[in-house]
Amino acid sequence: MSFAFLAPLFLVGALAVAIPVYVHLTHRERKDAVPFPSLMFLRRVPYRTVRRQRLRHWLLFLLRALAVLLLVAAFARPFVDRAALGPAVVGDGRDVVILLDHSASMAYGDRWSRGVDAARTTIDGLRAIDRATLVAFGDRADAVTPATSDRPILRNALAAIRPLAVGTKYAPALQLAHDVLEVSESPNREVVLITDFQRVGWTADAPIRMPDGTAVTVVDLSDADASNVAVTGVQLDRAGEGGDRLVVTARVTAASADTAVRVGVTLEIEGEAVESRQITVPAGNAASTVFAPITVPDRTVRGRVRVDGDALPYDDAFGFTVEQRTAIPLLILHHPDARAGEWLYLRQALSIGSAPPFGIEFAPATAIGPVAFDGRAVVVLYDAPVPGGDVGRSLRAFVEAGGGVLAVLGPRSGNAAWPPDARVLLGDRAGPTVDRDAGRGGTLSILDYRHPLFEPFSGSRGADFSAARFFRYRRWTPPDSAVVLARFDDGVPALAEMVVGGGRVLLWTAGAANRWNDLPLQPVFLPFVHQLARYAASYRPRPAWREAGGMIDLARDLRVRSWGGAGTVFGDEPGELIVEAPSGTRFIVDDASGYRLALNEHGFYRIRSEPEGIATLVAVNTAPSESDLGIVEPDVVSAAIAAGEADGSRLARLTATLTPTEKERRQALWWYVMVAALLLLLAETLIAGRLSGRRYRRQTVETRDASAVR
Amino acid sequence: MTATRFLDPVMLARIANLELLARTVVDGFINGLHHSPYFGLSVDFAEHRPYMPGDDIRRVDWRVYGRTDRFYVKEFEADTNANFVVLLDTSGSMRYGSGPISKLDYAKFLAACLSYFSRRQRDRVGLVTLTDRIVDFVPASAKHLDIVLHTLDRAEADGPGSLEPPLLRVTEALRRRSILLLLSDLYEDPDVVLRSVARLRARGHDVIVFHVLDPAEIAFPFDEAAPFEDLETGERMPVVPETLRDEYREQMQRHLSALGEHMTHSQVDYRLFETSQPLDHALFAYLSRRERLSRVR
Repeated sequence: MSFAFLAPLFLVGALAVAIPVYVHLTHRERKDAVPFPSLMFLRRVPYRTVRRQRLRHWLLFLLRALAVLLLVAAFARPFVDRAALGPAVVGDGRDVVILLDHSASMAYGDRWSRGVDAARTTIDGLRAIDRATLVAFGDRADAVTPATSDRPILRNALAAIRPLAVGTKYAPALQLAHDVLEVSESPNREVVLITDFQRVGWTADAPIRMPDGTAVTVVDLSDADASNVAVTGVQLDRAGEGGDRLVVTARVTAASADTAVRVGVTLEIEGEAVESRQITVPAGNAASTVFAPITVPDRTVRGRVRVDGDALPYDDAFGFTVEQRTAIPLLILHHPDARAGEWLYLRQALSIGSAPPFGIEFAPATAIGPVAFDGRAVVVLYDAPVPGGDVGRSLRAFVEAGGGVLAVLGPRSGNAAWPPDARVLLGDRAGPTVDRDAGRGGTLSILDYRHPLFEPFSGSRGADFSAARFFRYRRWTPPDSAVVLARFDDGVPALAEMVVGGGRVLLWTAGAANRWNDLPLQPVFLPFVHQLARYAASYRPRPAWREAGGMIDLARDLRVRSWGGAGTVFGDEPGELIVEAPSGTRFIVDDASGYRLALNEHGFYRIRSEPEGIATLVAVNTAPSESDLGIVEPDVVSAAIAAGEADGSRLARLTATLTPTEKERRQALWWYVMVAALLLLLAETLIAGRLSGRRYRRQTVETRDASAVR
Repeated sequence: MTATRFLDPVMLARIANLELLARTVVDGFINGLHHSPYFGLSVDFAEHRPYMPGDDIRRVDWRVYGRTDRFYVKEFEADTNANFVVLLDTSGSMRYGSGPISKLDYAKFLAACLSYFSRRQRDRVGLVTLTDRIVDFVPASAKHLDIVLHTLDRAEADGPGSLEPPLLRVTEALRRRSILLLLSDLYEDPDVVLRSVARLRARGHDVIVFHVLDPAEIAFPFDEAAPFEDLETGERMPVVPETLRDEYREQMQRHLSALGEHMTHSQVDYRLFETSQPLDHALFAYLSRRERLSRVR
């Protein structure tokens, strides 16, 4: 063991100890005595004895000199340069990680208050040299406070935690506790797990063990006879012509009940009960109920299915939003000489779309102006001449602004070079035709099922594109920016995607009528056309509800295209948004770009833009897994995460690998030295004052006595 | 102010020979007294008194008998053949001197001068040096001036001082009435000093007390805190002068006042001398004091 100093140059300041030495020397008495005839009179007056004077001076001198030396030592930043003493010098404190479950199930009964009490008891039990990290966890884990010994901070942080509607996952919390304790230099480490031990949150496959020497304390908040009835989901089906009727089907579960439960279920629209009914839910099972169809209002409204209240209120209601469906507006440009029968299959396919519906409009490609693309989601160039000039520039601008183009090459596409603006979108030219009329024709043999466009067709239940026969198509040469999504069996591209600006262009080389192929006669044709239109329009359905614990990107998930429509909210530049959480909390998001809003509360989030004067609703429901109150035995969890024996070598390695700066910072001896110096100075002040007062009193008394004697 | 008028003790200290010093002082002093109204204090004739049986018939004034037919005896002051004995305190405290000369030096000068002066009046001179005991004893004799001066010359201040024991011995030793000149700094309780002196007075001695002090002993001009060492006992005591000065001065003045008062009541000639005073001042004060007392008598 040896002492070392981080800033040894400060030790030069030890010369300052000469100051008290000088003071004491200059104020000390002369050592050579003054001869005097007689001390007869001097004895009669009060005086300080040699002994007292020396004692006082020596004591004060030592205090002052020691204080100066300690101050110098504090500035020199001392530390103990020995590995084994590294942890010892930081004291015998504990490093405690308090894991407090605040998932939705903690709202059951009095679990939350008991959990908070347990956490508070742990905090109150901390000593001054102990440190604690408070972690609140649900499906994620967040360190509410860093490791601190400041109990008021911990108490305030604890008071700010509320149970959320999120699910339960123990792994993130245990991993966080492990990470915190792994880097702790404290020899005494402890993790306190305060939870209701929901089984759904526990995965026993790869439990996370705490670092060696960590004590594991579990606080079990589960209830032995917990029962719960929950609305775990709804299904919204459109009915009626045009989908203007909505059929709501609710799914109700009864968890951990011994007998079947008779429970009332109510459908509410905008807080008003629309229909109520009683259903019987078998014990530990689920039941569904279908409400009478309701008319879909012309605006976005709140819908909620509610069951009778029980001990866990979070899952007693299931919210959703209901809105009018918005048709994707498509403009289909055809050759002026084309006959109506040429787009029969395409029109029929698009007209029967309901999720979402498609609004289609046909126009000759040569008869449109530059403003023809306004309010459109997708422009379909159906075997039509590619527009040039102002219309071509307008089409390019339309795509760059986020619009979609679906180009279908057919018999009338020709092989001439396309106008400049069109070349940016489609490449140079349509290319010559390829005839596959020999034999059974060509097939689509290579499809990129990983691509979002074909992803719905993947899997064993996917559509079969190989049944379609292609007898002719165009040998289109894709530009470098193109991504070929499908090829014929001879390698010629069948479908390609080009991303231009914020929009996308899809190019299909085999026509849409059944003249060049029999694809329109295949079952896959309908969904394929719908998918092409949706993908070209960058359509993303807005869910009627979201599960708590998820996130939404305010700029991306709530953005809509310029074609607008009911229920749509914000454009590409949402700007400042005001978010109102179900709990009533309001906050402002200055820049929604890239802002991800965590949906942790059960209920409806209202997000609005003051400048645009529009708002939207986001329904958030408690994670269905939280309704299952089955527990995993605390002993199982405790045993699974229990740490091994304390490994002293770890601490030694930890300290040995520390740099002197880190050692000094961890030990922080300078702080103690500084406090000692200040205490010495305080003691010096008190002693000097007391001696001075005593001398004054003694002089007064002796003078009075001497006067009395005379 | 001339050098012969006021004899600076510092200058006199350069004269090693006490006899020469005494002669310098006394002769100069006497010369200076030629016009003094106090001239003739050294009178020969004192008075006539009727003859008493037992008187020496040689002392009968026959001229008066011739005129008055009665026997009168003529008495002379000189005929008293007084013994002049110097009682010199040589305790350690007399060694002190804040200036060039110590109290002992000053006392030696006084003793030498007055012995020389007395011898010129044909008194017998003697010397007793004392501390807390008698150190040297020179019996009074008309021939002992040299011995007195020699003894004075080699006297050194040392040892503790206490007046009462040696003065008690002096009281017992001096059977003949004498003029006793006590030279001391009198660091004794005034009552003890008076008791010792009164004992001498009771034996018929004419006691003169010259209280010799250094100016520093009265003014206490020290500034620096230091241990003060008692010259008699060697005891040391830390002293912060600025805090003690007023108290010390008050104690000293009270001591001097008590001595003066007690001596006056006991008809003892008492005079305080500071070693910075010229010696002829001391002689002048002494003689004027003797003159006043003789008139009273």
